[in-house]
Amino acid sequence: MMNDNVTIPVDVAPVEIAQERGAPETAQREVVFDVRDLGVHYGSTTAISGVNLEIYRNLITAMIGPSGCGKSTFIRCLNRMNDLVPSARVTGNLMYRGQDIYGEGVDPVAVRRQIGMVFQRPNPFPKSIYDNVAWGPRVLGLKKRLDERVEKALRGAALWEEVKDRLKRSALSLSGGQQQRLCIARAIAIEPDVLLLDEPASALDPIATAAIEELMHDLKRDYTIVIVTHNMQQAARVADMTAFFSLEVDESHRSGVLVEYDNTDRLFTNPSDKRTEDYVTGRFG
Amino acid sequence: MRTTFQDELNLLETTLQEEGALVLRALRGALNALEQRDHELADEVIAFDDDVDDRYIRIEEGIQSLLARQTPVASDLRLVLAILHINLHLERMADYCVTVAKLSKLVPDVEPSPRFVEGFEEMGSRCEEMIRIALDSFSDRDLERAESLVELDELIDRANRRVVERILELGSSEAMREYGLRMVIVSRALERIGDHAVDIGEQVAYLLTAEFREFTDASHKTAHEL
Repeated sequence: MMNDNVTIPVDVAPVEIAQERGAPETAQREVVFDVRDLGVHYGSTTAISGVNLEIYRNLITAMIGPSGCGKSTFIRCLNRMNDLVPSARVTGNLMYRGQDIYGEGVDPVAVRRQIGMVFQRPNPFPKSIYDNVAWGPRVLGLKKRLDERVEKALRGAALWEEVKDRLKRSALSLSGGQQQRLCIARAIAIEPDVLLLDEPASALDPIATAAIEELMHDLKRDYTIVIVTHNMQQAARVADMTAFFSLEVDESHRSGVLVEYDNTDRLFTNPSDKRTEDYVTGRFG
Repeated sequence: MRTTFQDELNLLETTLQEEGALVLRALRGALNALEQRDHELADEVIAFDDDVDDRYIRIEEGIQSLLARQTPVASDLRLVLAILHINLHLERMADYCVTVAKLSKLVPDVEPSPRFVEGFEEMGSRCEEMIRIALDSFSDRDLERAESLVELDELIDRANRRVVERILELGSSEAMREYGLRMVIVSRALERIGDHAVDIGEQVAYLLTAEFREFTDASHKTAHEL
């Protein structure tokens, strides 16, 4: 039982205290995304429907589920990447810090400035390591102290020590794991608020994967992280919160639905929905 | 469907039930050896403990391998953890049976009152009943039966207290005093077997509810104790 006399140091924010203890209590969480009845449709096909969840600040939130369940579609809504698909239509509400991301007059580029994304396959530009990281700040006109900014981003992505002596060399000379960390450095160089990681380690070997997971743990001090992963154990290892998506099929159509969303501990020890239980225990299908 | 994994889980559970059946056999043997002063039977019970230990080790190794290779989660994880704990409780019970068997060989040649000896038979029968209920509640995933172990344990605790009281009435001869001392330990061993059966019930409750909860302990009394 909690001792009623426990005092909370006044100079530490409740969220920080909660993080030190693991997943924070609901009351202490700061909502970054508030998603209500979200649906995504490609032409006449429904990819996901009826998704409701909140994503919290400075936590790692993982999306898991079988192929085709819509978890990548969901994460792409969070920074309007689905806008790039001509037939895509988003319904419902997606509030980012109280603002409707799909509201009238909202500039998707400005959204992506705040909500960065790293993809499954490392995709550095065929330029130098330095230019890859400096590209975002340059585009945004953040040219002051550029060297400092590049170094900070590379340090943040745990890559600085490995590349500091060869910043002018091609980014393509790096290993896969290094390239992926370079992409993370590129994403954080413009100091976004949220990092979306879509299968960031699926093309990497176990050592590079461990480095990325360790990095995520460090990054969550400064960023809110949302990760899509096929690897359930990766979600169990890194995420504070986990959302399980599944594919709902009936006679006329099929669409991805959010089945369960909870603290990762709970989702992997005592899921409340049988579909989640069946998926995480490998009895799915 | 992870067939191999499921097979391995099933095998662990079957082996655990086997271990439980062996503990019941050891307990009956130890009680009979005590009552009939049968040293040969006592030796059998002592030697028989190797069979229990064999199951115990097989389960430990099986769980180690399963955790390393299969990464169980959710109800599978709870089942594996429950088996791990129940395995230890059963092994401890078997050790107490060995204690009773060994003590039965050390009993001096005295004739205590039949009422006194009957006390052990009563405790032993209750232990057997509790072990059966513990094992059945686990295999049937029956929370209610698991929780019923607390009240049965209270009966054993009372019987234990009665034995201790009667020991004082045994008489003051040296042989009787020695007999009494040995029987305190026998009574305590049986009482502990009851406690381990309750602990197994708690593991069943954990498996079914995902909550770690002691049914009862010294600092948190049950409703009927208040």
